[in-house]
Amino acid sequence: MSASTFQTLEVALADELYPKVDLALRRGRHIGRDDGPMYEYLVDAQALLEPFYQRFGCELIQQSDGYFYLLPRPSNDALGRRQLSPGEMLVGQTLALLYLDPATLQHGGVVGRDALLQRLSALVGADVLVRTLHPRRTGRGKKYDERIAAESVRTKIGEAVRRLGELGFVDVLDDTRLRLRPALMRFAEPVRGLGDRSAALERLVRVGEVVLDDDEQDSEEDLSADEEPSS
Amino acid sequence: MTTSPTSTDPSRVIASLARDQVNLELKTVDLCFLAGLYLKADKAALTSFEEDVLIDMFEQVCDVVEPGAENPRKRATHAIQRLREQRMLARVDAAGLVRAGDYALTTLAAALVQYFLADEALTRESLTLLTGTLSAQLAEVLAAAKKATDAESWRSKVSGPLRVTVSELVSGIERRQRGLDAQQEEVQAEIATLLSADWLSALESCQLLLDTTTGTLNELNAILLRDTNQFQALLQDIQARAEAADNDEAAETVQRVIEHVDRIAAWGSVRQQAWSEYYQYVHRYLRDVVRLDPDRALSQRLRDQTATWPASPFFLVVAPAPAMRLLRALEVRVERPPVQRPLTERETEPEWTPPENVHADIEILVVQALDDGAATLAEVSERVLAKLPESLHYAATGRIADAALRLGRVHSEHERPWAPVLSRLEVEDWSVDGRDTS
Repeated sequence: MSASTFQTLEVALADELYPKVDLALRRGRHIGRDDGPMYEYLVDAQALLEPFYQRFGCELIQQSDGYFYLLPRPSNDALGRRQLSPGEMLVGQTLALLYLDPATLQHGGVVGRDALLQRLSALVGADVLVRTLHPRRTGRGKKYDERIAAESVRTKIGEAVRRLGELGFVDVLDDTRLRLRPALMRFAEPVRGLGDRSAALERLVRVGEVVLDDDEQDSEEDLSADEEPSS
Repeated sequence: MTTSPTSTDPSRVIASLARDQVNLELKTVDLCFLAGLYLKADKAALTSFEEDVLIDMFEQVCDVVEPGAENPRKRATHAIQRLREQRMLARVDAAGLVRAGDYALTTLAAALVQYFLADEALTRESLTLLTGTLSAQLAEVLAAAKKATDAESWRSKVSGPLRVTVSELVSGIERRQRGLDAQQEEVQAEIATLLSADWLSALESCQLLLDTTTGTLNELNAILLRDTNQFQALLQDIQARAEAADNDEAAETVQRVIEHVDRIAAWGSVRQQAWSEYYQYVHRYLRDVVRLDPDRALSQRLRDQTATWPASPFFLVVAPAPAMRLLRALEVRVERPPVQRPLTERETEPEWTPPENVHADIEILVVQALDDGAATLAEVSERVLAKLPESLHYAATGRIADAALRLGRVHSEHERPWAPVLSRLEVEDWSVDGRDTS
């Protein structure tokens, strides 16, 4: 490793990039090579910033795919923790699949939203997708209006893409195109090894990378076509 | 297609093309036919074709494109007619009906065929040749500009060569740049196809393709950077001389060429930047995805994970710190007055008015009139009404008749005459014979 530009933490924090990088990390953003100076700053100041963020109960993680992020420890909630929503998880995994697809290379990692929707729908099926994204309104075999559900799914996916963009998993180029970023490989973390997926998940839960419970308080739109009033 | 628009104003050109309903409709066999003619002309140095040669060529093409097609001679006639209508073929003899015609390919047909045939991607050799020729041409134009003394010499020795020769050369470079763009797209598609088919085995081929294209782009960009600077210097010198000679036409022509040269110089840097991003992305992919997953198992495992995720979900954890709150600047609190309006007394006090007892008054007045000797209803009415306000006259007339009937002794003719009362009323008259005292 080459010598750091920063000799002390004070010098690292005095750098003009620090506020921008710090705010981005605390907002859950994944900072990768594509972020240029911010990534280079983190590489340079990594040794000083790791113990600094540990005092806030967080780990500054650097992945071999070339990105940094801040991971709040399970035992310490000084900064709080947020788990991704079901929509974000499904969209994130699908985008990770597209990232691995050689066909995406032809356009330099840029994919259309249509391709995302098609791939997602083909992977989990339209019905499962609707029921996963709207568990309350469609639970226990409730009927739903297909047209309203499809529109709502598109809205949910659009919202998930926007949030994943804020977190640095993708760059939202315009209304129709996304550029995939290496941080998407976080979604593939449970299956990266050749071992048992359950064991990998357990390890990730232990280190606080993932949680297994969905405690999202989701506001649902009414998808029902002929839903009976609940008693 | 009837006219060719000469204006450079886009709106007028588009309107003109739309008005003439310009369209091209070429089948594969038509394109192959044109290509065959183009190559034959090129090989045999022909400037035109006799009709029989056209038909022979079409039959040959037909054998390849649509083997077994019936009646090729008739189809050839239709094809020739179709191509003439679309200005791909032009009859160049003036014999009319006297004998079979001679035909030539138009510039439109030649351009179409060249697009499909020519391998005009920019290479180091072609670019060096083009820039060298362009440089020599510009030097000649500059020498002519130095000697030009009148408008005619400026037009024939400077503006003319700049507009035709120099512009053609610059366009030649630009055309080859577009060719290289197309080649790059092909390379990108080829890399994707190679990886899809062979994954780890395709690594070296992909790397080679990437490096070759990168090398070509770097070389071309270096040549463009070096030579375009030289072109600009020569062109600016010519432009300065044109301005000094007050020759606006030449100055404008030079300006257009300068802008064209700027464009080809900008192409180099833009393409190099875009390719650099693509190169980095693919390089990272090869290193992080292909090399680390030689069996291509990760995609399948991730696909399975995603498909079964709804049944066994897990959720990534991220830091959630909200955006920092920015406090507003201090400001004096503005007390907003409640909405109100002045209180007003909406209930008005009742007015004291004298009591009205018109009915009683009428009866008294009727009695008085009877006592005073009124002999008819008209007289009674006249006397009573004179003492009442005019607004009550009409209504009171009936009441007077009623009172007179009740209080007096009245007689009525079978046909009662109408008698005037004051100025505006008439009543059917009765005779009254004093008050009824019974």
